[in-house]
Amino acid sequence: MPTAPVPTPTPDKEDAVTPSFRLPTAAGTPYLFLLPGLVILGALLSVPLYKVVEYSLYDNVIVERNPTFVGLDNYRDILGDPGYWSAGFNTIVFTVGSVIGHMIVGIGLALLVNADIHPRARTFFRSMLVLPWIFTAVVVALNWQLLLNPFGLLNYVLDWLGLITEPLDWLGNPDLAMWSLLVISTWRGYPFIMVSFLSGLQTVPKELYEAAEIDGAGFWHKFWHVTLPQLKPVIFGVALLDLIWTFQLFPLVWLTTGGGPGRATEVLSTLTFRLAFVDFEFARAATVAVSILIISAAFTVLYLRNEARRL
Amino acid sequence: MSRIEISNLVKMYGSHKALHGIDISIQPGEFCVLVGPSGCGKSTTLRMVAGLETISGGEIAIGDRVVNGLRPKERGIAMVFQNYALYPAKTVRGNMAFSLKLSKMPKAEIDRRVNEVAEILELTPLLDRKPAALSGGQRQRVAMGRAIVRDPEVFLFDEPLSNLDAKLRGQMRAEIKRLHQRLENTIIYVTHDQVEAMTLADRIVIMRDGRIEQQGTPDAVFHDPDTVFVAGFMGSPPMNLVDCMVTPGGLRLGGTELACTLPEGLRAGDRVTFGIRPDDIRPAADLPGGVPVTLPVDLIEQLGTEKLVHFRAGPHELIGKTGGRVDLAEGTEQRLAFDMAHAFFFDAETGQRIR
Ligand SMILES: Nc1ncnc2c1ncn2[C@@H]1O[C@H](COP(=O)(O)OP(=O)(O)OP(=O)(O)O)[C@@H](O)[C@H]1O
Ligand SMILES: [Mg+2]
Repeated sequence: MPTAPVPTPTPDKEDAVTPSFRLPTAAGTPYLFLLPGLVILGALLSVPLYKVVEYSLYDNVIVERNPTFVGLDNYRDILGDPGYWSAGFNTIVFTVGSVIGHMIVGIGLALLVNADIHPRARTFFRSMLVLPWIFTAVVVALNWQLLLNPFGLLNYVLDWLGLITEPLDWLGNPDLAMWSLLVISTWRGYPFIMVSFLSGLQTVPKELYEAAEIDGAGFWHKFWHVTLPQLKPVIFGVALLDLIWTFQLFPLVWLTTGGGPGRATEVLSTLTFRLAFVDFEFARAATVAVSILIISAAFTVLYLRNEARRL
Repeated sequence: MSRIEISNLVKMYGSHKALHGIDISIQPGEFCVLVGPSGCGKSTTLRMVAGLETISGGEIAIGDRVVNGLRPKERGIAMVFQNYALYPAKTVRGNMAFSLKLSKMPKAEIDRRVNEVAEILELTPLLDRKPAALSGGQRQRVAMGRAIVRDPEVFLFDEPLSNLDAKLRGQMRAEIKRLHQRLENTIIYVTHDQVEAMTLADRIVIMRDGRIEQQGTPDAVFHDPDTVFVAGFMGSPPMNLVDCMVTPGGLRLGGTELACTLPEGLRAGDRVTFGIRPDDIRPAADLPGGVPVTLPVDLIEQLGTEKLVHFRAGPHELIGKTGGRVDLAEGTEQRLAFDMAHAFFFDAETGQRIR
């Protein structure tokens, strides 16, 4: 029986012809590309970081040519200072209050603008509601000062409604200042939560809501049993991030109350600034800054852990 | 157990008409299957019954109530979704108990029901697991359990088995059938698997482009199709459908003459669509009463118990069947017989059956 000639397999043309464009470099190439970024980051981050820690271990830094090394004395001083503790307490109140405010307002508004309304109206509301986020702190502070001024708009309206008999100094009254600050901070910070939550909402499978609807769930049940569990990791993540930011927030506080009246709204960041640039106690300012750093770092580790678990 | 009456149901998506007036009348306890190609409006119909889509026109009644304006939970329905839609943060028990909790049922009664249904569906050992820790088939059962605990008047299923592998699908199909026999609820079941449709249904509704093409018992739609679409849709491998010319003595099929008697009203020279199932084309020896034809074998598919044989008839390809042990060679001429008693004729233009 004649056998048909076996076709010799022709080598895959492309394989043979395609030239190799790979550059003859070592495996280190990617790091070369990272280098500029690393250098800049290093210069802008590590040097100041190192300096601040160093300052906190000396006395009379910057103002004197030869500061003396005092070890942990500055830390002992700071921890013995009631001003530090009151600022710490205020920081906690301000941070926790702000984050709670951001959460409630941000999530609430996200649910509202996620409603099934005309797409154009939805886009309009979504854009309007992120506005507080895009103004610089100076503009925000000025506007709120105008609003909350004893002769400002809010007092005028309240008076007109007959709710107050004499104007209230919202930012100047020690009993009101922190609350006012929290309102401003909430207004300023909710858009981040709103946007994050909104994008999270898009990822919740629609079928879950439909299943819940058939199971007889109303709006709150759906929110509680479907939305929240689905978005718990997101919420936890953004809350921590918000906590980290708010914890060291400086401009908004400085530009509205300046930490006052008295020390009523003094937080750690304004205390640092005051120590450094009003009292010229750079060493103690550095010490407070390091304490902020340590606490922020702890939150950051928590945040990174949470993110790693999500992925 | 409730009757479902769907009359002249219309669905508009903007200006797009997804349903053009659907009428279905489902008896209490009946198992009604909606089938049809993708996009024909099966899910839309089901979701309108569930109350998940608004009704653009027409009426849906469950039991004695028109439910058009009612919310899903007021309709006495339970639904099983294609992707199960289990609450990921709740345990199996939590998933099953959720609707009962919302309806403020006493805790003891909830436990009793959940345990009972878990027993039926063999979910008892899994009650404290989260859905993520379940296999596809187990999730499927939880989804059914969640529907069953509510003891609804009507079950709605939207392609519940399409995410399972073939074997599991077969098992679950049988399980659903058994459940229906046991619970006797009215069921509307959407699928595009016609085996599921044939095996499960008391009534099959075949849809196409937002209209009902035909409805009836599985027997009726399979053995007595009204249109060429239904004939081609039901059955696997599908019915052979070829455009033919009517001749004085029968049909011209490709180059071959097929002697047969045709329905009255067909004249020589008319064009018809001739339909015959693969089961009705056999080797001549197996079918003594059939009309003999000789055609070349193009391709053979061995299925085990039988073989599908592809024949060439002019420009057309026909599929016939032989026993799995019959020896045939591709490329040879084969003597066949067509069982013309089970042939169908359709208008080549409208696709309507000519009887
Ligand atoms: N939300 C919607 N908006 C616009 N058109 C839609 C919407 N939902 C469905 N349709 C259209 O309605 C028609 C019917 O869709 P439906 O989902 O009922 O099909 P189906 O028969 O379930 O198909 P499948 O087998 O693919 O699930 C399709 O043409 C689809 O494009
Ligand atoms: Mg569908």
